[in-house]
Amino acid sequence: MIEVLTEHVDDFASGLWVTTRLVLASLVIALVLGTVVAALRVTPSRWLQRLGALYVEVFRNLPLLVLLFISFAGLRRAGIGIGPWTAGIASLGLYTSAYVAEALRSGVFAVSRGQVEASLSLGFTQAQTLRQIVLPQAFRTVIGPLGSITIAMVKNSAIVGASLLALPDLLKQARVVNSNTFQTTESFFWAAVGYMLLTVAATVLFRALESRYAVRR
Amino acid sequence: MEYVFSPDNWEWLWTENNARFLLEGFLINIQIAVIAIVIALAIGLVLALLSLATVTPVRLLAKGWVDLFRNLPLIFLILYLALSLPESIKQGWEENAPGFLPEVLRGQLVLAGIMGLVLYNSAVLAEIMRAGILSLDRGQREAATALGLSYRNQMRHVILPQGLRRMVPATVSQLITLNKDTTLVSIIAIQEVVRSGRVLSQTAGNPFVGGGDVQAPILQVMLFIGLLFVITNYALSRLSRRLEVRESRRTATVRPVTVAGVEDQAIPTTR
Repeated sequence: MIEVLTEHVDDFASGLWVTTRLVLASLVIALVLGTVVAALRVTPSRWLQRLGALYVEVFRNLPLLVLLFISFAGLRRAGIGIGPWTAGIASLGLYTSAYVAEALRSGVFAVSRGQVEASLSLGFTQAQTLRQIVLPQAFRTVIGPLGSITIAMVKNSAIVGASLLALPDLLKQARVVNSNTFQTTESFFWAAVGYMLLTVAATVLFRALESRYAVRR
Repeated sequence: MEYVFSPDNWEWLWTENNARFLLEGFLINIQIAVIAIVIALAIGLVLALLSLATVTPVRLLAKGWVDLFRNLPLIFLILYLALSLPESIKQGWEENAPGFLPEVLRGQLVLAGIMGLVLYNSAVLAEIMRAGILSLDRGQREAATALGLSYRNQMRHVILPQGLRRMVPATVSQLITLNKDTTLVSIIAIQEVVRSGRVLSQTAGNPFVGGGDVQAPILQVMLFIGLLFVITNYALSRLSRRLEVRESRRTATVRPVTVAGVEDQAIPTTR
């Protein structure tokens, strides 16, 4: 059992590092795009709201694998060749951004209307109300869901590596070690440990954030 | 943009039986999703009950099982099963698969795909059901006990009907995720819609394969496949929202059941 790890520790470590970078880069994109889309959905403009809703419905209902084919093989065929890293990060980021947008939007709606009314009657402007009253409280309620989304993202990152993209992520390295050693269970076991490390790290991080920003009543 | 919408690049869709070929592939995805969700619901319920058992070793074992399989990437499980299922089992499936299944689903590797989907989704559904049951007021259980109902009857007549109804929206969300995840079996060479799309884009317009003389560019093919999923899943998500609204009207609860570790995280809205 342990020999498979000790003899191929470099492969597993590099795979873990590729997966980590993929997740972190996509997370940044998902957070930025998700915030923009969530903002669209809480603006007073009907058309912007619809645009945001359309974005969410498209990227939430599209399989990640199809998105990967569109962004890598599809765009390449169209003459816009982007590398596997760009395609992988963009696909995973776009896919996850829809979930981030939904979480943020529910977070904003979870702030009681009375808060907004009180703030407006105290003379805060719309923008001030959003920035100083609503968003700080919304942020606290979405830390938990964002943690779940990040964990789901770690798992989804395996789809990026498993599809045609030339990204040597953790799962791909497990398959490489497997084809060199023929010890399937051992190779996959150590990759599973790697994925667990990442999900546990995400859980610990988001728990810490949650307790740091918890509302004390 | 010009390339994407140029009629020349969409001609494949109405030439020969290309569209039909893709729709037949999509039907395989739906069938896999239905088979997997039915089995996963049954196993998920058992796992949920076991993870609420009063016998500590049973509970810990069930919880460990659930946590293990819902925290591993699904494609990881599918690939592992495809590589490690013994030949005898794979061949046994090929020879003894029920005849009503389409031919694609009687292949050797289908079992690995469906087992992976079931292992992962039963764990997620178990967690959803557990959360649904735990979200009930404890008075329900106490009242049932006070009325002298046995554990079996408490579950059957009091706890499960209420707890499970609460998790219907979350289950439909999971069904949407599962529907998307059926595309992953294309990676182990099962001929569902994504695989069909790749085949089509390689054979159409290729004189050596005999796929006619109209090319099917992979970008347009995948956009079409994506559209199929967006339409189906959008319809499902509307259904889920409807059920949620109906349920919250019926029982005056505002808190849908949510589960950590899956993407779809509805936050209870207090409006």
